[in-house]
Amino acid sequence: MEFDAATFDAVLTSALGAGDYADAFYERRITRSFRLQDGRIHEAGVSVASGVGIRVISGERAGYAHSDDLSREALLRTAHVAALVAKDRSAHAGIVAIPRAPGKPLSFYLPDRPIHLEARPSTYVDLLSRADIAARAFDPRITAVNASLSDELQDVVIATSEGRFVRDRRPLVTLGVQCIAAGKTRGSGYYGDGARSSIDYYFEHTPEEIAREAARVACVNAEAREAPAGEMEVVVGAGSGGVLLHEAVGHGLEGDFNRQGTSLYSGRIGERVASELVTIYDDGNLAGERGSLSVDDEGTPGQHKVLVEKGVLRGYMQDHLNAALMGVASTGSGRRQSFRSMPQPRMCNTYMPGGDSTFDEILGSVKRGIFAKSFAGGQVEISKGDFVFMLAEGYLIENGKLTAPIRGATLIGNGPDVMTRVTAVGNDGRLAARYYTCGKGGQYVPVGVGMPTVKIASVTVGGSSFGG
Amino acid sequence: MEAELELAERVVAAAVSAGASEAEATFTVADRFSTEARGREIAKLEQSRGRGLLLRVFVEGAKASLSTTDFSDDGLRRFVGEAVEAARFVGRDPHAGLPEETPPSSDEGLLLYSPDVREREPEAKIEEALALEAAARAYDARIVNSSGSRVADAAATLALVNSRGFRGAYRSSSALRSSGPIARDGSGKRVAYHGSAARSYAALEPVETVAALAARRAVEMIGARKPQTMRCPVIFERDIAAHVLADVFAAVSAANVAVGNSFLLERVGTQVGSELATLVDDGRLPGGLGSSPFDAEGVPTRRTVVFERGVLRTFLYDTYYARRLGAKSTGNAAGGGIGPNNFYLEAGTRSLEELIAATSRGVLVFDTIGFSTESVTGTYSRGARGFLIENGELAYPIDEFTIASDLVTMLGTIDAVADDLRFDSAIVSPSFRVAEMTISGN
Repeated sequence: MEFDAATFDAVLTSALGAGDYADAFYERRITRSFRLQDGRIHEAGVSVASGVGIRVISGERAGYAHSDDLSREALLRTAHVAALVAKDRSAHAGIVAIPRAPGKPLSFYLPDRPIHLEARPSTYVDLLSRADIAARAFDPRITAVNASLSDELQDVVIATSEGRFVRDRRPLVTLGVQCIAAGKTRGSGYYGDGARSSIDYYFEHTPEEIAREAARVACVNAEAREAPAGEMEVVVGAGSGGVLLHEAVGHGLEGDFNRQGTSLYSGRIGERVASELVTIYDDGNLAGERGSLSVDDEGTPGQHKVLVEKGVLRGYMQDHLNAALMGVASTGSGRRQSFRSMPQPRMCNTYMPGGDSTFDEILGSVKRGIFAKSFAGGQVEISKGDFVFMLAEGYLIENGKLTAPIRGATLIGNGPDVMTRVTAVGNDGRLAARYYTCGKGGQYVPVGVGMPTVKIASVTVGGSSFGG
Repeated sequence: MEAELELAERVVAAAVSAGASEAEATFTVADRFSTEARGREIAKLEQSRGRGLLLRVFVEGAKASLSTTDFSDDGLRRFVGEAVEAARFVGRDPHAGLPEETPPSSDEGLLLYSPDVREREPEAKIEEALALEAAARAYDARIVNSSGSRVADAAATLALVNSRGFRGAYRSSSALRSSGPIARDGSGKRVAYHGSAARSYAALEPVETVAALAARRAVEMIGARKPQTMRCPVIFERDIAAHVLADVFAAVSAANVAVGNSFLLERVGTQVGSELATLVDDGRLPGGLGSSPFDAEGVPTRRTVVFERGVLRTFLYDTYYARRLGAKSTGNAAGGGIGPNNFYLEAGTRSLEELIAATSRGVLVFDTIGFSTESVTGTYSRGARGFLIENGELAYPIDEFTIASDLVTMLGTIDAVADDLRFDSAIVSPSFRVAEMTISGN
């Protein structure tokens, strides 16, 4: 069904009741996916998420209900359930009239190309087959190739009791390849790339490039030895090293944790929290990146945010609820996995701009340590700030030179502690390949990360080899 | 449940008339409730009915699936048609297809559904969340904040129909109580978490127990230090022991084995684990959160011994991977892949306290962060927190360290298993001790 302002008016008026604020989020997301295994297309999938989520806020309380039944009656029922949370009727007299701005589709993601809504299945199949062939041709040690491609288009309509009425259309394509190689040991390599774009993205970013990178990492890991254990100097690779920022700092700056006082960064704006070499941005406006948003899931435009500037904490990332309770404006960071979930303050694309050092200078300055070239992901505990990031490809550094590749290991540190030990920042800042997804409170959203090469004076490396 | 079965039947018929040679539809309807308290207030209240349809179609050995929440006539027709069309682009696979045999399997005695989940009033659940929060904060003066205390439940109906004539449905329920208090002292904040889950409210740990366990964890961690880098025995407390088993489950899942993505390839029939490592997948445990009468393909669930006194006896299969690898389905089909029923390590006879007392120097781990296990080598490395054990006693709390080994070595050197097994998740474990791992700290 098509949503118009009148439907939302009725629903929001019913939802608002005694609350301070209400919003409705309609979503229709269609995802087409294909998977390749053993040299052939193994399965195809179509996924449709279609429904409305209605939220009512009353002070610090939030009520939420959702419905996949889009009839007017079902939506009014849903609004009634969401409104149960609001209790103090007298405090909110006066919020009645809801002015509407006309909604118009935004086309932020695709300045120069229309979205091909109905890409032919043969296009997907062809891309995956090319990835398979390229991976196998890369090296005879490759024993298995698994590849998957997904093409998603999410249409949303967001309406709020404050009169916002926004439509948005959000494409997202992802092509991922996993290779297994047999060498001294068995090794696995994963690489992926994608964008907020149509499948045409892979005309320029070819499946061959993605597959060869996955195959290369698998071959490296097939010759890897056990990672060392203990504290040592770590050179974090450009690009996916941004996982470090995302975990060590980013989550701790999300508005909910700071409004509730549960983050170690709570109440610390203006304080030094990192080495002065460290500047961190979170940006929702980078063309094509996974974490980019023309508007967030509450209808607020995506923004460029300065989180840390030369080591000083500058700002948090806010959604509507937490911004309102802290008396600041939303930073366009309200995101949700689907219509079934309430929005939370989340990161978009988190990155550090480049510094002065060259990669060779940084590497040459390390006597004994590791080069953490890329990461599979990370996790943080936000109250104390201990975080981990997991190696996908790493090497020993001995006397300023890369020596043996090392197996997957977890690196652990404390956020502010590690960030004050950043002793060199490379001039090679860039965003990581686009395949990262962030999980929080059971909700998964696509994000981007980026960083130049960075040297950290001391991090605990969680390998199993030590002594000798 | 007749209405749910009828919808699934209609979808199967639509798929067949759109050109599918075989089809299978699973329709679920779930009523979910969740509330979260912080301080003296309710912060969140969520309540919804969610419907979901999963359709698998086969067109002459080519498989495609549809997952949808669009139940309009137009939406069903269009997307069922699209799934059938997509299958034409999939490679033919002689092993793909519905199970040959799906004998009827009753949910009688499985205790999957408890009426107390729906009978309990929302007000009572809200009061309970507030009580959890109050009890956690009352536990110790240093509990000054919280990430929230939660009460949540779900009651669901699942109907499964396939074009070979299978028709089955059952109801299930679940309930959860959890608390996430934060302790504070001069050294900073420590958050902890404890939750209890079961098929019914009646089977949950009492409010006071959940709150006290969570609060104790938060307070205990105050003053934690970073340990020295060393090798020593590691005791995994039950919840974290279950995480280790989740990695083992991934390695015995035939979907991973078939594509070489497991460190247990070609190990069936060999001694992998220690004598204490008996691991079972059981779909028929009464009240188990992983129990069901039949799996996602309608194959009856059963009890499968995966490791018997350390010997790997079998991988776990759905119909497709069983055919591909020359085995029989073990009733582990789940949502298009392979999943656990109740997957667990058999309990030992000693208490966790006895395990600690029998450890002269080691580490007790009760929380880990991170999730990277190299599936092909079993290389294991995690951030952790817990206690240093000295002379059989908990000496002091430790954090910001990692534990590392590889899963084959870990399974092979399990040298003590505790008696504290509880079935509060699909993958569960009693606490156990691994003879030696690398602790990386200072």
